[in-house]
Amino acid sequence: MKLTTAILLGASLASAATLSDSLQSGKAALQSAGPLAFGPEGILFVGDTKGAAIFAFDTGDQKTTKSATPVDLQGLGGKIGALVGVTADQILVNDLAVNPLSKNIYLSVSRGKGPEAIPVIVKIDGAGKITELKLENIRHASVALPNAPAADAMERGRSKRQEAITDLAWADGRVLVAGLSNEEFSSNLRAIPFPFRSADQGASVEIFHGAHGRFETNSPVRTFVPYQIAGESYVLAAYTCTPLVKLPMSSLKSGAKVKGTTIAELGNGNRPLDMVVYQKEGKDFILMNNSSRGVMKLPTNNLGSAPAITAKTDITGVPYETLAQFKGVEQLDRYDAGRALMLVRSDAGSLDLKTVALP
Amino acid sequence: MRFPKLNLWDGPPGPPSLVLVLVATLLAAPPAITYRDGGFIATGKLSFAVSLHQPDAPALDGTLAHTSNETIFTPRYPPQPGATYRIDVTGQPPILIRVPDRAPRPPATLTAVYPSASVLPENQLKLYLHFSAPMSRSEAVRRIRLLRQNGESVSLPFLEIDEELWDPDARRLTLLFDPGRIKRGLLPRQEVGAALIPGERYTLVIDAAWPDAYGQPLAQGIRHEFTAGPADRTPVNPRTWRLTPTAKDLLIDFGEPLDSALAPRLIRVLDVPGQVVLEQNETRLRFTPHQPWKPGTYTLEVHPALEDLAGNRVNRPFDVDRFDRVTTIQDREPPTQIVFTVR
Repeated sequence: MKLTTAILLGASLASAATLSDSLQSGKAALQSAGPLAFGPEGILFVGDTKGAAIFAFDTGDQKTTKSATPVDLQGLGGKIGALVGVTADQILVNDLAVNPLSKNIYLSVSRGKGPEAIPVIVKIDGAGKITELKLENIRHASVALPNAPAADAMERGRSKRQEAITDLAWADGRVLVAGLSNEEFSSNLRAIPFPFRSADQGASVEIFHGAHGRFETNSPVRTFVPYQIAGESYVLAAYTCTPLVKLPMSSLKSGAKVKGTTIAELGNGNRPLDMVVYQKEGKDFILMNNSSRGVMKLPTNNLGSAPAITAKTDITGVPYETLAQFKGVEQLDRYDAGRALMLVRSDAGSLDLKTVALP
Repeated sequence: MRFPKLNLWDGPPGPPSLVLVLVATLLAAPPAITYRDGGFIATGKLSFAVSLHQPDAPALDGTLAHTSNETIFTPRYPPQPGATYRIDVTGQPPILIRVPDRAPRPPATLTAVYPSASVLPENQLKLYLHFSAPMSRSEAVRRIRLLRQNGESVSLPFLEIDEELWDPDARRLTLLFDPGRIKRGLLPRQEVGAALIPGERYTLVIDAAWPDAYGQPLAQGIRHEFTAGPADRTPVNPRTWRLTPTAKDLLIDFGEPLDSALAPRLIRVLDVPGQVVLEQNETRLRFTPHQPWKPGTYTLEVHPALEDLAGNRVNRPFDVDRFDRVTTIQDREPPTQIVFTVR
């Protein structure tokens, strides 16, 4: 019995050590800082569109905090700018993620707006103190995203192709990556096992969706969120062309062509930027912010049983509510069990970080 | 004595008060600190802190180095041209230094819009805007409008995404028409209709105030006109192309315009290095081998990701009828190969 316990303990220690063991100290050659997602052990994943890579950083930020301290910071662009020595107009905040262990807030930032912009990751603690996650000597790993189809790269000069990484998430030991190319219009969702292995750049899945039973099309995934429905892992994904679909995680296998089940269409002007799942009064909801044009709340209690949209009469699918109290929300993440963090563009143009109760 | 030009007192505006004058007289002359090549430089050995000149700005991170006669503080990140920084020396009033502006450079221009044809299908998927110099991110949405022939703006014609689809040099922007308004049977198309209506004339208006990567506006605004034509829902079929080898080149007539970014990248002659140029509103590709042709047979290879203006790919239309059709598409779609002879 004791031996079994020891073996089990040994095994769990070994597996716990494996994740961070793959991270090596050194300078991280991050070329741009885009979408963020936290994995276990305070590991922060960063999408690098310019470098066509995903980075994993050991933030060393593992102290567990159950309840977050509300943070409200006005003029965040100016504050981050002062930290890195530029005026507010030279700061672009690309994403926001909350470390689920410590509840510290991480932002990916561009210092500058041109092609020579410098990527910066900043951390904001519960007291509102802003510090930089320095990348000169940090435990990290990275995986290159596969190259796009190229016929004669050598002959045709420098490629203009770039794939914008539009979202990242950690689910079931894999980093899920959605991207949107500036040339071909294709739908690829990539699932990359972590720890990264250079030979395995992950399964690339082409996703189709139906519209009213007549057409099946593919489209890039804009944003997505892993979610459990009746004990099974799913991805809820929003396309650039507005349908919201669910896909079983188990379908994300290399080279697969997957048909997502369309459960809602979000309509014109609603382009999801971020989605978070939360519980309130025993029910699950999704909160999503949409291209600065409103925040929507969707009940998810019937997602498992929601009929697929296959006929014209089903056009609305899962009902959603647009929450008028939230305006100009550019970034959104869950802060703790009862609160969300929003990065809001005020009418005056300043960028404000706000803590709000989950609606 | 006169202080160097760049040194400014951070005092209230107006003439210095008597107290200030007295203090200034009692103290030794303030240290001379200047800006040069990314660093703040003091004469002699001196300890000082540098911060952005704005309320509550923290001291910047950086390295302080001493030479035989200078102290040089180099901030962790290069100072911003045109910005003002505050230098704090213990026991001295702060000194403000404005970093020189960038050397003036010619303003950027919009050099091309693709597709270049004057008639585009109503289900046109992408526009490419080419600029002469790197541009600023996070501006496109408010700098581009699409006008109908009656002068009204088309509401939300393009997909608005934070990332903005620039090339690595920030000189080419890909603008995607909202796919929800192109694809048949989707809610946005039913609610507000397609962005383009066949037979209507449109003007793409580019605002002159769009800043380049260095904050300078464009040399001028641009109006680019086109007419919407019938939808194109036919897949690209390389087997219908006309191949004409000439003494120096290979001319490939597509019979329709193809995507200006993809065609040069995804069409090649196997084992023959050469240059490609799109001509005649992207309906023709001219391939010029580096070495003159030798008589013989050659293979033209077309990658399946090649698209026409409406996003129809090789052997796959933009919207596919029925999922059964999709599942029959092979996992690894092979490239199309066409053999041609040079005599």
